[in-house]
Amino acid sequence: MLDTTALESFPSLISHGINVAGEISAPPSFQLPNSNDFDGFVKETIQMVKPAKGTTTLAFIFKEGVMVAADSRASMGGYISSQSVKKIIEINPYMLGTMAGGAADCQFWHRNLGIKCRLHELANKRRISVTGASKLLANILYSYRGMGSSVGTMIAGWDETGPGLYYVDSEGGRLKGNRFSVGSGSPYAYGVLDSGYKYDMSVEEASELARRAIYHATFRDGASGGVASVYYVGPTGRKKLSGDDVGELHYHYNPVTPSTVE
Amino acid sequence: MSIFEYNGSALVAMVGKNCFAIASDRRLGVQLQTIATDFQRISKIHDKLFIGLSGLATDSQTLYQRLVFRHKLYQLREECDMKPETFASLVSSMQYEKRFGPYFCQPVIAGLGDDDKPFICTMDAIGAKELAKDFVVAGTASESLYGACESMFKPDMEAEELFETISQALLSSVDRDCLSGWGGHVYVVTPTEVKERILKGRMD
Repeated sequence: MLDTTALESFPSLISHGINVAGEISAPPSFQLPNSNDFDGFVKETIQMVKPAKGTTTLAFIFKEGVMVAADSRASMGGYISSQSVKKIIEINPYMLGTMAGGAADCQFWHRNLGIKCRLHELANKRRISVTGASKLLANILYSYRGMGSSVGTMIAGWDETGPGLYYVDSEGGRLKGNRFSVGSGSPYAYGVLDSGYKYDMSVEEASELARRAIYHATFRDGASGGVASVYYVGPTGRKKLSGDDVGELHYHYNPVTPSTVE
Repeated sequence: MSIFEYNGSALVAMVGKNCFAIASDRRLGVQLQTIATDFQRISKIHDKLFIGLSGLATDSQTLYQRLVFRHKLYQLREECDMKPETFASLVSSMQYEKRFGPYFCQPVIAGLGDDDKPFICTMDAIGAKELAKDFVVAGTASESLYGACESMFKPDMEAEELFETISQALLSSVDRDCLSGWGGHVYVVTPTEVKERILKGRMD
């Protein structure tokens, strides 16, 4: 008999999904807005959220595990609304998700994914794989496709098959890969990441590469900045390696000698 | 993003005791991408007159070249440097000439006039002058700059204190703007000397 409890949405488990009359009640869903022009309303919400993909996140698999890094700036058009946003979300002790796009969308769906992963563990007495977790998220996001959510996330983790990395977005795309960078600063991060990448790197070398890639992206991209956070996921779980302020990192990589101006 | 936010800029000028300071950021960008971190936004017209041009970089360069040309002609004819008030009127009328196809620039003019009295003013893109006794701001970070200057400004500051104040106001404001920053450039002008300084700022 197929066990589908982990696939049902969370609130229905409380009401057991079946009411007194023996019929299965409708699964809970989000309320739609009462608007005359629903399409126009959705278009407007998409436009409101769109500038928020101003960010730089990256993740790559190497010999020792998975390295995940991100900046910490939130921008609304030209205004910097925060320099201290947590863009690497801890789904569970061995899986990380990155945030790019709408902050609310990413935070909500990552937490929802964490809940589903825990339910899977309890129902099946074993941890969910990175493949499975990313598929759960991708299916949910696909069902909300076209409704204006903006999510460009990477699911990185360590499971029984070793390190896993998937890119999942709100258009419904899901890609397996070894190296990803997401956000407006991603072209700059790719430049540094691709030229410095070697599979046989140590944890220190990989974390320095990730940090430098984020730093270069914050230098060139106006919508990225703040703090470069680097996380590592290995066989023993996830660990935060560094969180360096990018403003100070610049002078660490480019020391200034005082000079006179004519 | 509008045409005024295409390149990104931040400009501020402040009045002190018998001196003035004018400061700008150093970023030149193409929307979100940073192209240069050493772009000159403030230029000298003569030893006691400086103009900073914010907005579209190509228009600010062209407008600056035209102003230098007009000022040189003035120097030949009148055999003296232009007063800041006169220069401001010149800039204003040149911008209004292009009323229906304007230069996308907001100038900030700062100079020492008669008896070395400090003079600052700013204009919108079609030449509406705004004279101020304390400070003027322009650029994509202008709203942050208004707030910072309003709280940090004191009247009759000496040159060193004025430098500190204008630098802090500039750096804290551009740190809230994606499109400006990447260092700062400050000129402090007294009747006897011009001090040019580069500020170390956040490069993100």
